Amino acid sequence: MSAPNCLRCLVRPSAALRLSAPPPASALKPATPPLTAAASRRAPFSTTPAAAAAPKSSSQGQQAAAKGHVRKGKRLTLKGKKKQKSLDHGKSPLPGERKAYRKRITLSNDNAIKVPWLTDLAAPDLADPANVGKVLALPPTTQDQLRASEAFKPTQTWGMFRQPAVLVRKETVDLTQRMQEAAAARKVLRMVVTGNKVTGKSLMLLQAMTHAFLNEWVVIHLPEAQELTTAVTEYAPLADTSPVQYSQPVYALKLLHAIRKANADVLAKTFTVSEHSELPQSLPAGSPLLAIANQAKEVDSAWVIFQALWNELMAPAPNRPPILLSLDGLAHVMRVSDYRSPAFEPIHAFDLALVRLFTDALGGAVKFPAGGAVLGATSRNNSPRSPSMELALAQREAEQQQQQQPGVEVPQKDPFFRGYDERVDAVLRSVQVLRLGGVDRREARALLEYWAASGMLRTVVDEKAVAEKWTLAGGGVLGEMERASLLTMRV
Amino acid sequence: MATPTNLLRLCLRPGRRLPSLGAVPARQAQQRLLRRPLSTTPPCRRDDDAAGAAEKDKEKDEDEDEYDRFYSNPGLFLRDLLRDETISDHERRLATQMLEDWNKVPPNVAKGIDSLTKEINELGAPMRRPVQARQKSFWNEEEDDPDLITDEVGEDDFEEDDMMAVAHAKLEEHREFREYARVAVWEMPLLSKLAKPFQPPAEDQVLRFRYTTYMGEFHPADRKVVVEFCPEDLPGLTEAQVLKLKKLAGPRYNPEKGIIKMSSDRFEHQAQNKRYLGDLVNKMIAAAKDPADMFEDVPLDTRHHAFKKPIKFPKEWYMTEERRQQLLEQRKQALLLDEAKRNSEDGLVDGRAAIEQALLNAPKVEQMVPVGGRLRISRRV
Repeated sequence: MSAPNCLRCLVRPSAALRLSAPPPASALKPATPPLTAAASRRAPFSTTPAAAAAPKSSSQGQQAAAKGHVRKGKRLTLKGKKKQKSLDHGKSPLPGERKAYRKRITLSNDNAIKVPWLTDLAAPDLADPANVGKVLALPPTTQDQLRASEAFKPTQTWGMFRQPAVLVRKETVDLTQRMQEAAAARKVLRMVVTGNKVTGKSLMLLQAMTHAFLNEWVVIHLPEAQELTTAVTEYAPLADTSPVQYSQPVYALKLLHAIRKANADVLAKTFTVSEHSELPQSLPAGSPLLAIANQAKEVDSAWVIFQALWNELMAPAPNRPPILLSLDGLAHVMRVSDYRSPAFEPIHAFDLALVRLFTDALGGAVKFPAGGAVLGATSRNNSPRSPSMELALAQREAEQQQQQQPGVEVPQKDPFFRGYDERVDAVLRSVQVLRLGGVDRREARALLEYWAASGMLRTVVDEKAVAEKWTLAGGGVLGEMERASLLTMRV
Repeated sequence: MATPTNLLRLCLRPGRRLPSLGAVPARQAQQRLLRRPLSTTPPCRRDDDAAGAAEKDKEKDEDEDEYDRFYSNPGLFLRDLLRDETISDHERRLATQMLEDWNKVPPNVAKGIDSLTKEINELGAPMRRPVQARQKSFWNEEEDDPDLITDEVGEDDFEEDDMMAVAHAKLEEHREFREYARVAVWEMPLLSKLAKPFQPPAEDQVLRFRYTTYMGEFHPADRKVVVEFCPEDLPGLTEAQVLKLKKLAGPRYNPEKGIIKMSSDRFEHQAQNKRYLGDLVNKMIAAAKDPADMFEDVPLDTRHHAFKKPIKFPKEWYMTEERRQQLLEQRKQALLLDEAKRNSEDGLVDGRAAIEQALLNAPKVEQMVPVGGRLRISRRV
């Protein structure tokens, strides 16, 4: 019965229109009682008999349908817009409040169980090979320092445990030992930490910083390189620079605050060697560096103060602390930035004074008086492609491997590719590369035991469970292990 | 000599027209005219004989004479033939003999033959007449279709004496199949006698040519020749010269196989193209040997080639007996480790047990509900 209607529906979109129009006089009395127009219209493909729903007999509805293809919500109203009902959803969050909530960093969870065997980190612990495969807690002062330097990231799972603790990996010990050696020889360790995503690159920086804080280094950490180069902070050309460099005063002020808060003790024990008359309040020689940092109150003077502090830290004098300069998201500084010069030409990231300070140090142009380390970590989230950096890292890595096994081939530049950047090549010509992968079974087991003892993993941690999680995590990739076992619990 | 077949042949011969068409059916004769619908020149009959032009001219008149003349009986034809001086003695003797035979034929029979030839000639006239394409026909609708297997003339008339035309056509088709089947069975195997054993190219045969044939048919691609060679195989080239040769070859060089491949179809004949390619290779070698500019500043360009990276299963993942033993050993060690830990003081770390223990040890908090509501002490952990 409904077949002809179905076909008509298929052929013409306006079949409904014809059906709803009043039938001609000849069609008023068909041989078989026809389906009502509404019923046949409503379910054209149905094989069940039409239910005896009352047809829309109101003339208004029919007229509206006869007007054409009217969809709900698309009707044109000429009499002015309807007032939207304002539903009361409560108070909406203030500007910035949502972001603050999203970016908040929680470092403890009172509901988590205290792990009985957990001990705080001491100064030499991270460089001790005996500690490989152990989970150690960050002492409260270090937590504050790290928090001030923005070493913790909102995506990390600190908020699930009673106390922030880190797993000591082989790579950690390797890195901290090299840092120690460099500081002992008054040299600079220049290293790039790289690896696949969620393999713990940022956490490796955090561990290096922890080691530095515990050993009374001065730590200057640039937590997100993209804040420097994506044109989100103010910039101004610096006088007497050729080619022109640009300072970022707002960022410098923020950085100065972070440095002062994180390194107050060390800076208080280090004294200036020269007089500083360019500062807002001129300082005589022999005053503590903390006094310089304390002057950072306003944006206008931030860059001058930062430079004074940096020059003092670089001044060749005895009793200088070793320095750790670190940056996360290296690819963002290894490219042309989003800033524009007054002539509207793109500014290379290396022409930003703060970035240049880091890249000079990474390239080996700067000598720290008491040695130290320059660390950069690549990121796999929202990171731009930097062919030069990728190639340079691959080359350095291959060169490192060559020392163990001579057969390794060093990748070469594609001679017909234009995207390389010579300045980047120059900076990364002699860095060391630390590639992070998955942790081994022993380390994975230590981590799982820590999670289970904290009440976050509800299984017996035996070799079977460890093997299962380790394999699920692509061979012990830390972030994947979290995803496989920890984050399933997140509510 | 005066056999009935011979006689019939002689009788029918004068009725024959258009001998050059031979066994070609009348339709094909018509097609000759139809084949050049756009030609402005008058259609003329092509001479299939491969004789010289002068001879053709000479014969043409005679032929036309012969075709235009109509002989109603063999006697007339033989007499006419004997008048011709160009025939040989043997033919003359034969013709004279046959004429004598013909004169012996009774007159009523001769008359019958006369009338029969006339009748045949009249009946066959429309078949011999060339059919012109109709000028005003719409899409040549009236034209018959040469692709059909029968000629459709009186096809549907059943005379009760033979199969229908379609059946004949079908039969013909079947005969054709069988003919090819016979060829396949009896003659094809003999081809293997012609097979030559493969001779790998010698060291001095560096160039490898590829030709295309369409088995005698004309095809625009059959002139194309392709040459492939490995620059390293060319004798007398230094390493730098080989590299320059590769750079000269540009996108014709395949860096994965290390082979230069060039083709040519710019000339009309295969041989010409092959010669051109050979010359080109010589020119390239000469250019590569030219020390004026060795292109040292230009890197070898391989952008035209997409390297295929072979996807390999890691070698360490192959399950060998050794690896199996190793895994077993690892599992055994793991079990032992678990066992040792289970029996130690602390035991294995158990997440569930830790939570239960923590719940047991949690301080009990008594929470008072304000007066007025239902008074209830809830235990919180």
